[in-house]
Amino acid sequence: MNSKSRATCLWVGGLMLAVAVSGVRAGDRSAGAPEEIRELQVQPGGLVFSRPGELRRILVTGISAGGERLDLTETVGIDPQGGIVELGPDSYLRAVREGETRVTVRAGGHSAEIAVRVDASPGSPRTTFLRDVLPIMNKVGCSQGVCHGAAKGKNGFKLSLRGYDAEFDYRSLLYDMSGRRFNRADPPQSLMLAKPTQQVAHGGGLRLDLGSSYYKSILAWIEQEVPFGDPEVDRVVGLEVHPGEIFMHAPGRSQQVVVVARYADGSTRDVTRESHLGSSNGEAVAVEGSGVKGIRTGESTLMVRYEGQFEMVPVTVLDPSPGFVWTALPQYNQIDELVDRKLQRLRIQPSPLADDAEFLRRVSLDLTGRIPEPERIRAFVQDPTETRRKRSRAIDELIRGQAYADYWTLKWGDLLRSNRKFMSYKGMWTFREWLGQSIADNKPYDALVRELLTAKGSTFENPAANFFLSARGATAAMETTTQLFLGVRMVCAQCHDHPFEKWTQNQYFEMAAFFSAIGVRPGFESGEEVVYLKRVDNDLKHPKDGRVVNPQFLVPAGGPSSIPSAADRDRRPALVEWLTSRENPFFARAIVNRVWSYFFHRGIISPVDDIRASNPPVNEALLAALAEDFENHDFDLQHLMRTITNSRVYQTTFRANRWNRHDDRNFSHQIPRRLGAESLADAIALATGVRFELPEMPEDYSAVQVPDPHVGKGGFLDLFGRPQREEPCECERRSDVSLPHALNLVNGPILADAVSAPEGRIATLIQQGKSDSQLVEDLHLSTLSRPPTSQEMQVALAHLKRSGSRAAGAQDLLWALLNSNGFLFNR
Amino acid sequence: MLVIPGRGGSFCDGPTRREFLRVGSVGLFGLGLPHFLAMQKAQAASTPDLAAKFAGVRGFGAAKHVVLLFLQGGPSHLDIWDPKPEAPSNVRGEFNPIKTRVPGIQLSETMPLLADQVDKCTLIRSMSYTPKGLFNHTAAIYQMLTGYPPDKVAPSGQLEPPSPADFPTAGSHVSKMLPPDEPVLPFVELTRPLQESSVIGKGGAAGFLGKAYDPYRLYQDPNESINLDDLTLRKEVSEQRLKDRYTLLKGINQSMPELEKAVGQHALGEYYEKAFDLVLSGKARDAFDLDKESDKMRDRYGRTTFGQGALLARRLVEAGTRFVQLNWPAVANGNPEVDAWDTHASNFKPLRNLHCPKLDRALSALLEDMHQRGLLEETLVVAVGEFGRSPRLGVSTSGNTNAPDGRDHWPYCYTAVIAGAGIPGGQLYGASDETGSAPKDKPVHPNDLLATVYFTLGINPEMEVLNHLDQPRELVKGHPVLDLWS
Repeated sequence: MNSKSRATCLWVGGLMLAVAVSGVRAGDRSAGAPEEIRELQVQPGGLVFSRPGELRRILVTGISAGGERLDLTETVGIDPQGGIVELGPDSYLRAVREGETRVTVRAGGHSAEIAVRVDASPGSPRTTFLRDVLPIMNKVGCSQGVCHGAAKGKNGFKLSLRGYDAEFDYRSLLYDMSGRRFNRADPPQSLMLAKPTQQVAHGGGLRLDLGSSYYKSILAWIEQEVPFGDPEVDRVVGLEVHPGEIFMHAPGRSQQVVVVARYADGSTRDVTRESHLGSSNGEAVAVEGSGVKGIRTGESTLMVRYEGQFEMVPVTVLDPSPGFVWTALPQYNQIDELVDRKLQRLRIQPSPLADDAEFLRRVSLDLTGRIPEPERIRAFVQDPTETRRKRSRAIDELIRGQAYADYWTLKWGDLLRSNRKFMSYKGMWTFREWLGQSIADNKPYDALVRELLTAKGSTFENPAANFFLSARGATAAMETTTQLFLGVRMVCAQCHDHPFEKWTQNQYFEMAAFFSAIGVRPGFESGEEVVYLKRVDNDLKHPKDGRVVNPQFLVPAGGPSSIPSAADRDRRPALVEWLTSRENPFFARAIVNRVWSYFFHRGIISPVDDIRASNPPVNEALLAALAEDFENHDFDLQHLMRTITNSRVYQTTFRANRWNRHDDRNFSHQIPRRLGAESLADAIALATGVRFELPEMPEDYSAVQVPDPHVGKGGFLDLFGRPQREEPCECERRSDVSLPHALNLVNGPILADAVSAPEGRIATLIQQGKSDSQLVEDLHLSTLSRPPTSQEMQVALAHLKRSGSRAAGAQDLLWALLNSNGFLFNR
Repeated sequence: MLVIPGRGGSFCDGPTRREFLRVGSVGLFGLGLPHFLAMQKAQAASTPDLAAKFAGVRGFGAAKHVVLLFLQGGPSHLDIWDPKPEAPSNVRGEFNPIKTRVPGIQLSETMPLLADQVDKCTLIRSMSYTPKGLFNHTAAIYQMLTGYPPDKVAPSGQLEPPSPADFPTAGSHVSKMLPPDEPVLPFVELTRPLQESSVIGKGGAAGFLGKAYDPYRLYQDPNESINLDDLTLRKEVSEQRLKDRYTLLKGINQSMPELEKAVGQHALGEYYEKAFDLVLSGKARDAFDLDKESDKMRDRYGRTTFGQGALLARRLVEAGTRFVQLNWPAVANGNPEVDAWDTHASNFKPLRNLHCPKLDRALSALLEDMHQRGLLEETLVVAVGEFGRSPRLGVSTSGNTNAPDGRDHWPYCYTAVIAGAGIPGGQLYGASDETGSAPKDKPVHPNDLLATVYFTLGINPEMEVLNHLDQPRELVKGHPVLDLWS
């Protein structure tokens, strides 16, 4: 060991001590021996170099007695023996000559060994565009969106964005400008080298250092007469990222990574430096060089990209405060087990159950969009039945009621864009009736989707056919189908292959081809339309080359053996068979995730309609279990909602403790959500006893029952974020809060008129001869859905006494209750 | 109301007597002295000395208000402010230059009324920047109004929708640092949002400052009637009764302190505080009441959405609003019959018949009216778009297709109109080349224009602000154009 690495070792020794001390402070263990590194681990184990000269990186991890993992990569001493490999920069090993050896790693009095082999290389290494040159071009930035990857290229030279189209880029390089980018007689004089090294003026500045390893690779490639490479050999087919999961026991720690690319021919290469690293949550975890650093307690996903392949690495930064003790709470069903499992690992203590009144309010809002009536609350709170059974019974009652059907008709109407703008007035009503009946009947979800997607005929006679009016045309029908039922956004792929995702432009059109023959023509009645199968002009043409596109499933799993090739045979049953198949990896997951998001402040994947590998779930086990259970219960939506609402996790209070107050993604406590526009309007109506005015609606209609956004347009419902039913996207509904909302509630007509109306709740209570305290109790129950505390009672009674009249005092109280957080939020 | 000392108050020496009086007058809202001091401390920590560097420099702190006429869509500088009669016909276009009140300054014939008010404004004809990346409206609007290039671009090539991590739009910074002296809306955005196809409001929100500093968005047509129910005290609710109600409300919220904490991120309390203040004072409402203006005055501004919006802007400033942003009320939809500035499909006919008469009338009226009222002295008026338009007709610079008489996006050279705040009028600042393609002299980056706006309000443009991660960021990376005052 040379003197420099010895110094490193000493320094590492010091580090150990510091870690040891902070380990004790940080630990959740009872006081005990200082945390020391017990063991060193080296990854990847067993290095194989394919030829001398190759560089490979190793990671060294110290493991403490308590299981903490500490990245020591940049501080350890590495001792290669026998001259087979040597130490390169940044703890890389460089192969020197053919042979086998062991490399020893030392830190803080511990050591570890790994086996290393260097294979012989037959002749000089083959350099290809695919394997060697394109990654360099991507790495140094040639194909960035702001440079040659721009839609129009840059200064006459165009590359595909981030190199997604290797063949295009190769042709661009070779054949544009009559091949003048290469000087085969004198390769170093090639424009391709002279430009980025700025030997010739280059708008993009210096990108490549003369004589660097990248420079040498490109030079070698030109010398070998610029071979493209063989996709069957040189294409990257996968990445291996070490470590596969990163767990930091405190902010401030770092972790280096190693990225190894696997090629089609089975060979591998260390591509750590050429990979792109990104953190999904920069507030918790930041990317630094070829690694990450914990910024503060939280979670993130590290996305590692290289040549169209990517891998996700979950990163967790724990709260290092002392004193954490896991207190087990009752587990009602599998949801609780799976949520707890992750929480315990993250040292997050979940909150306990909400009390009965809080639970009833929440579950009523979530299942029916309405707050409970005062009598219902009284009865529920006083019911002596054991909590869990009592709540379960309340859930069943809510699901059986008409309010449930009304509310989910609204939600599905939003997603399916039930809107007279697309469907005509009568069609919209017809569609709403059909939806309402389907929900009341608890039609299995797969059957509902099948009826929608295979519908044909008159939109008045077959209401489901209205689906093809709000999603008109093959591409719109496909985009709606994939986004709603698979949670996949295909929109980007219409114009180009997705730069990180696997969806291609071809797939976009192949999926759209399932709908290519769907036509819509006017019916007999005014507003009636007929969905039919076109006999002519029914093929989908690819916009690039005009060829006929044959339908193909997004992923093969679950599809039927054959798809009708002639467009005049209906391809949609095949599509639905694939879509609703249990092998389809998206169908059940997408809907259970969406439904979950209606009962919490977010989905397990968020946003719910942007499911992709680079947007992983916060709890995969939970999502998988829910999806499986949903399939096993024949796509029964009510069963799914029962499962969710009967879990302890759902019934948890919003009140946080010191261990979960920062958690907003692992469902350790409920997070209050502002009431949706329609629920807010109906809750005001219930509390005040004054109907919410709805133009063109029958007297007994509530806001939740409104059939489309044309009713009361521009008014209260729109101000509070009702979806306009223009896009099949959850994002259309808004539940934010801003000044205009506060102004409207403080002084707008909806609330004020209802509070002061002569025939409302207050008038009735006074007429019934209720006492002041009965009045106060009833007003609290009808707004906050709980009785007042004794202090609240005192304050309210004092106010009534002070007021000019009882009615006026009660109005003030009701007004204040309606404007309070306790009313405005579902908590 | 929230009284946070801006200019006038010194952070180190404690509140001035006047501020104490203001605090006293709002004591009933529970904003006691301890609260006030705590707030002041917090404010001082997050905004280091506003004035340090530029104190005493001419123009610094000269304005109390800003009116930004944001001509979204990108108006053609050659056809409005910077005519090029000597250029080839495929650049020059159809319009002739006209003389103005000021010898040596010519405008396009599309701006006859402004020609008579040119003595009150300065034309910066050398606005210029080179976009980093995207060449579309939203990216340019974001750059223009926040001072930062957009960093989040969706794979579709458009920007991500507004996010809480965005850089704040200028008006939000201003309304946070300089809350108005009067109980009025601090920052009002008029008639319609910033927009490019489905991306709405990007570059027009408070971003990491938090929604409390978002503009009050009055997306209504002031040329029709304005509905301000929210700002009018109801007849059965007296002022005292509303105050009593507010006291009750705060008591109820305080009885659920954990909930208050759990919903704290929504800043509901702050919105309520502002809402009460607005309703009780009545000043904000009056400012929106265009019926208080004579027919003659309303005609003078033009009976158009933009014209009445400009009149509204003047009324708001008069009432004390700090920052008024009036967005051009039409956005591109490819229809040449719509008066959007994005004239790919057809440039001259719509400019002549649709756009310019509205702009000409409104801008000239605003300058004249504000001057006559003495408001121009304490108000900075800026009229600018996110970019200009391609000097050559019928070419594609942004990837859009253009009709033979259409002009494409052109950020490399365009014009901004700036007036008030002691800037001597009747001047040209900078110049473009023979074809209006590039600045010939004194280029001004949009960040420099933004820096000028902050500077004029007495805000040091180089000061640091903390983003949502508490990382220090420069307010804007630009330099105020000090020569405007010379």
